[in-house]
Amino acid sequence: MNCISLKNVSYKYPYTEEFALQELNYAFETGKCYGIIGANGSGKTTFCNLLRGMIPHFFEGDLTGDVLIEGKDVRNWDSNLLSTKIGYIFQNPFTQISGIKDTVFEEIALGLENLGVEKEELIDRVIEVVKLLKLEQLIKKNPNNLSGGQKQRVAFASIIAMNNDILVIDEPTSQLDPESTAEIFAIINLLKEQGKTIFLVEHKVDLIAEYSDEVIVLKDGRITLSGSTLDVLSNIELLQMGVMLPQAAMLSYDMQKADEAFDTIAITKSQVIEQIKQRVGV
Amino acid sequence: MDYAFIDSFRKAQVQNNWFLDLNPLSKLNIILILAIIPIVAKSWIVSVAVILFYFILATASSRIKQFSKVYIRLGLLIGSLLFIMRAMFIPGEDVLMKFGFLTITQEGVDHGIQFATLVVAICGALVFYSVATQAKDLMLALEKKGVSPTATYVILSSLQSIIDLGSMSKLIMESQKARGIETEGKAINRIKAFFPILGPLFLGAISNSEEKAIAMDARAFYAPAKNTHLRELRPVPLSEKIILLIVNLAFIGFIVWRVVG
Repeated sequence: MNCISLKNVSYKYPYTEEFALQELNYAFETGKCYGIIGANGSGKTTFCNLLRGMIPHFFEGDLTGDVLIEGKDVRNWDSNLLSTKIGYIFQNPFTQISGIKDTVFEEIALGLENLGVEKEELIDRVIEVVKLLKLEQLIKKNPNNLSGGQKQRVAFASIIAMNNDILVIDEPTSQLDPESTAEIFAIINLLKEQGKTIFLVEHKVDLIAEYSDEVIVLKDGRITLSGSTLDVLSNIELLQMGVMLPQAAMLSYDMQKADEAFDTIAITKSQVIEQIKQRVGV
Repeated sequence: MDYAFIDSFRKAQVQNNWFLDLNPLSKLNIILILAIIPIVAKSWIVSVAVILFYFILATASSRIKQFSKVYIRLGLLIGSLLFIMRAMFIPGEDVLMKFGFLTITQEGVDHGIQFATLVVAICGALVFYSVATQAKDLMLALEKKGVSPTATYVILSSLQSIIDLGSMSKLIMESQKARGIETEGKAINRIKAFFPILGPLFLGAISNSEEKAIAMDARAFYAPAKNTHLRELRPVPLSEKIILLIVNLAFIGFIVWRVVG
C-alpha cells in the first residue's frame, strides 16, 4: 500500500523564479525506510517539507502536480491533522526546542500534551522514550541550555514519543558523535521493525546503505536516481551527482581496477566481509 | 533515572509554602490590589507601608533573598531618579536650596517623595509576583480558565526570546572580538561595536521564528485535540477562596471609603 505518492510534482518557493523541486514521480510504500541523498542545495529539505505537507500549508509558493498522502491530496488535508500523522525531525536542533519548558522531561512531553494524551499514559511514554534514547541523565536539565548534540537527541525523542506512523527525518545526526549516531540509527532500525514508514535524509551514505530499503538521489530538485538501496548505492554515477559511494562500494570498485573484482559490488561492511570470506575460502 | 522527579508530575506541584502554593491567579489578584492601594490612597506613608509589606510577604514566602536582590537595586535606582527629577523641576514657593538655575522647593521634595514611593510600590508588585510565581504556572492557570494555548505560548516564548537574544548578542560580540574588532574599553568603543550587530541579531531572530513555528507544528501544537498537562496546579481550597473573598471585599470597602470620604 502506498502511503505517499507524487505525480508530476514541481514546486517553486514564493518570490523565486527557479523550481526547487521538478517533475517528481514516486510511490512510497508503507513500512519502508527511504534514504534521501544528494549534494548540498539539491532540494532534500524542500523534499522533506513536501512529504510532511509543510508545502503548501506552511510554504505557500507554486505547487503543481499531485501529492497524495494516504490517497488524499495534500491540499485537502487539514494541516493540523498532518502533524498527528507525520512526524518531522529537522536538521537544526537549536530551533527544535520549544523554549517554553524548563526540563527535558517536560519538553519531550509537549507533543503528547498537544495530542491530548492522558497524564499517566503520557508519563509512561516519555519514560519509555527517555530510556530508548538514553536521556536519563538529562531529564531534569533545562533544554535551552543543552549542547547541540543533546538538543538533537531531545528533539528526536520528542517526535518519537508522539508515535506517528510516518517519520520524516532530516539529518538527525548532524551534531552527533559516532557513538550517539550509532544509537540513533539503532532506534531508526527499531522504528522500521515497528512498521513505521521512514524518510531519512542523511549525508553518511554508509548508514543509508545499512538501514534503507530504497534510496532516492536528488540533483537540482529532480530525482536523478532511485530504486533499491543496492542498485542505487552501487552505481558509480553517484559520484557525478555529488554523492560519495559507501566505503564498501569504493573498495569493490578499487578491487575491480586491480583486476581482483568481487562477483558483485558490495555496499555494506557485512557484504564485503562475506565476499572476502568467500574469496579466501573461510 | 530520577523517579522521584518523575513522580512529582503525578500530583499537584506544591512548594509547601502558604503563599507560594496559592493559585497563580489568586496571587495575581492580591498583588494587583497591593499595587492599586497606593494609587488610590495618594499618600507616601501608604506607599511605604505597602513596600514594607512586600518584604514581610517575601520573608513569609521564603523569597526574601531573590526579592531583595532585585527590588532594592531597582527601587534605589528608580526611586532616587524620580525623586531627584521631581524635586529639582517641580516649582514651588517654599525654596529650600538653589544650585545655579536649579531651585529645590519644599513642594518639589514633597511631590518627589510622593511620586517616587508610589512608583517603587507599583514596581514592588511586579518584582514580588515574578519571584513568587513561575510564568509557566501562571500560563497554566490561564489556560485552565480558557485562555488559548497559543496566547500562553506567545507569552512564554517571548520571555524566552529575551534570554535567547541576550545570549545571541553575546555570541556575536565574541565573534566580532575574535575578528579583531574592539568591543571593550571606552563607552564609545562598546557602542560602535554594539550597534552594527543589531541588524543581524534581529534578522536572525526573525529567521529562527519561522523554524520555531515549524517545530511547534511538528509537536502537534495546532492538533485538534483538547490539551492535557503534565504539570498540575493544586486545586483551589475553600480556605483560599475565603481569604480571597475577604481581601477583595476589604479592597472594595477601601475604594468606597476613599471615594465617599
